[in-house]
Amino acid sequence: MIQVERRSLLKGMALGGLAGVAMGSSGLSLANSVLGRTAPGQLPVLALVSSGAAGSAFVQGLEASPAAAQVQVLPANLELQALLQLQQRLASGRPQRLIGLLDDASATLLVDLARSAGARVQWLGQHSAHARRSEHRLLSAGSAHGCALQLGQQLHRCGQGFSLHEQRLHSPAPTLQTSTASRTTGDDQWAASLGYALAVLGSTDTGQAPRVARRAQAPTGTYVSFSIEV
Amino acid sequence: MSQATPNTLLPRGVDAAGFQQALAQFRALLGDENVLVKDEQLIPYNKIMMAVDNAEHAPSAAVTATTVEQVQGVVKICNQFKIPVWTISTGRNFGYGSAAPGQRGQVILDLKKMNRILHVDPELCTALVEPGVTYQQLYDYLQEHKLPLMLSFSAPSAIAGPLGNTMDRGVGYTPYGEHFLMQCGMEVVLANGDVYRTGMGGVKGDNAWQVFKWGYGPTLDGMFTQANYGICTKMGFWLMPKPPVFKPFEIKFEQESDIAEIVEFIRPLRIAQVIPNSVVIAGVLWEASTCNTRRSDYTSEPGATSDAILKQIQKDKNLGAWNVYAALYGTQEQVEVNWKIVTGALKQLGKGRIVTQEEAGDTQPFKYRAQLMSGVPNLQEFGLYNWRGGGGSMWFAPVSQARGSECEKQQALAKKILNKHGLDYVGEFIVGWRDMHHVIDVLYDRSNPEETRRANACFAELLDVFEQQGYAVYRVNTAFQERVAQSYGPVKRKVEHAIKRALDPNNILAPGKSGIDLANPF
Repeated sequence: MIQVERRSLLKGMALGGLAGVAMGSSGLSLANSVLGRTAPGQLPVLALVSSGAAGSAFVQGLEASPAAAQVQVLPANLELQALLQLQQRLASGRPQRLIGLLDDASATLLVDLARSAGARVQWLGQHSAHARRSEHRLLSAGSAHGCALQLGQQLHRCGQGFSLHEQRLHSPAPTLQTSTASRTTGDDQWAASLGYALAVLGSTDTGQAPRVARRAQAPTGTYVSFSIEV
Repeated sequence: MSQATPNTLLPRGVDAAGFQQALAQFRALLGDENVLVKDEQLIPYNKIMMAVDNAEHAPSAAVTATTVEQVQGVVKICNQFKIPVWTISTGRNFGYGSAAPGQRGQVILDLKKMNRILHVDPELCTALVEPGVTYQQLYDYLQEHKLPLMLSFSAPSAIAGPLGNTMDRGVGYTPYGEHFLMQCGMEVVLANGDVYRTGMGGVKGDNAWQVFKWGYGPTLDGMFTQANYGICTKMGFWLMPKPPVFKPFEIKFEQESDIAEIVEFIRPLRIAQVIPNSVVIAGVLWEASTCNTRRSDYTSEPGATSDAILKQIQKDKNLGAWNVYAALYGTQEQVEVNWKIVTGALKQLGKGRIVTQEEAGDTQPFKYRAQLMSGVPNLQEFGLYNWRGGGGSMWFAPVSQARGSECEKQQALAKKILNKHGLDYVGEFIVGWRDMHHVIDVLYDRSNPEETRRANACFAELLDVFEQQGYAVYRVNTAFQERVAQSYGPVKRKVEHAIKRALDPNNILAPGKSGIDLANPF
């Protein structure tokens, strides 16, 4: 599953072909810091990201956040040995946070490993990206309060069509439900916004993700996002 | 440290005060860290794949026990406060309900921490394990101790466990693939707290618990599988001696319409044990998905994938429309004789392209299929979840005779219904001795409410139409367990509920499991 092959954030971004960042990510991170936005808790953060355009945009969002310095990014794939390594990491007792954007198969395994390790899951998102819009169904804990709203606001600002449905564990009714029609062609901006929102989850940060470059053809697909604390 | 639960979700029939008192007693028994009530602790128990709302399967709490005595204590508290408790072992029943409770508000009893391998006998080839033991753990144990024994497991192999899989009557791919057949001796905590051992397990000083199934008088092991009459805390089972020679092979068939002939070809070889393992006949989309093929690689059109695309995938990935995986086991001489019989029968059939391990090398999906047939864990089959994506998966698993005409009829029926609802036939047949487990993964996008509703309607129609034809499933996800219980008739249900009333009058153990719930009018 998760291929724990260590790569630096910048190298990972370069490999992901992220030259088209509209505003330099590190510059935006700096700007976010200058504006007094604080990083969330000081836990080390491991970001697990599937390969592809959405994953690259997600990483741009992470890097622009005040939490960027704490984040280590690892690419993920279905591999048994890597899964076992991750299992050991979860069971190590070392306080840490795992966030990420994965394919469905990898995420299914990861979330269940987290459950077995007694980890706390603050956020579980199911995302699908289509040519002109994206859909987001979120299951969140009280500790992720405001994160979905922030994501919704960012998505609204960038003009992509989207629908967002947030639910709390014990509430049959959605705690947040919003959607907008597309005012522009689709792209993977949603993934950058999501990366930023998850990086600052639990903080009062209201900064924004960098604009990602538009592509001739918007990437489509389904993904799972998460924030897990050990 | 756990706090009083801030949530408003309560188990059915339990008031807030009673629930708080029960939680306090759970904490006293198990320790604060083993009583989970916070939303962030419970969310991982609520990642379901069924086409219903998460809220329908949200737990009110989860507790973890580490000893049989603690399980007895949990049962006692549940009886006192009439708390319904849903027990899981490893909780990896993906597509059948995962770790979530069958009914909203049930308290989960998670036995993941009861994970001791109690005994492995390399001469008698038996094992005795607790509920939390995974196949990977057992595999590592065998490797570490250099024991020449072979495991049989379902495809999630590494992370699932033998006790849970057997209790749910799961199957594997080796000659020991019918797991409940290989079970020998259970320890069960009953609803009244008694600890009952099946077979020879009740005899003082006995050492035959894991070798003789039947004991004396009624044999009740089967009654506890797919049921809610007790909590299994230990299970014995038989392990296959590792054969000196293992020869896996694949036979690719070009046409979807070949299925009837394939089954007629395989059945006599399987019944006569020339091919001793649970043979798999896998459809093209199953195999394509497990070697990292996604629907979006071929089309962005909504709805069912066209036959033209299926043919293209078959060609691109060098697959058959049907892909038969089987293996021979034994000494060199035995394998050689049986290989001659298999290849001779195939020659007579006049179709099918055989692929040996030497020819396949490390290519997928051959590699992972060979691993499954030889007891080596892997996770390759999780690729199914990426075919359509979106996290929706429900297993539709009707039983069929191992007869060509029956399999052909079932496959055509299932494909027609799935396609009508805009979904794909992603299926395989697992050949028992005389039966087929026809296993179809109903894959859909849970992030799309419309598609989720469609998947739910599709699953309901599959059950209805198959029932009209005299078919029923052998296992189902928790959202449809009441519906499937109806297929098996009212007399069976009356008997099951009579047993439930006798053994669990407070209806605390997994009410709803397989449709057994004292809230039902039986």
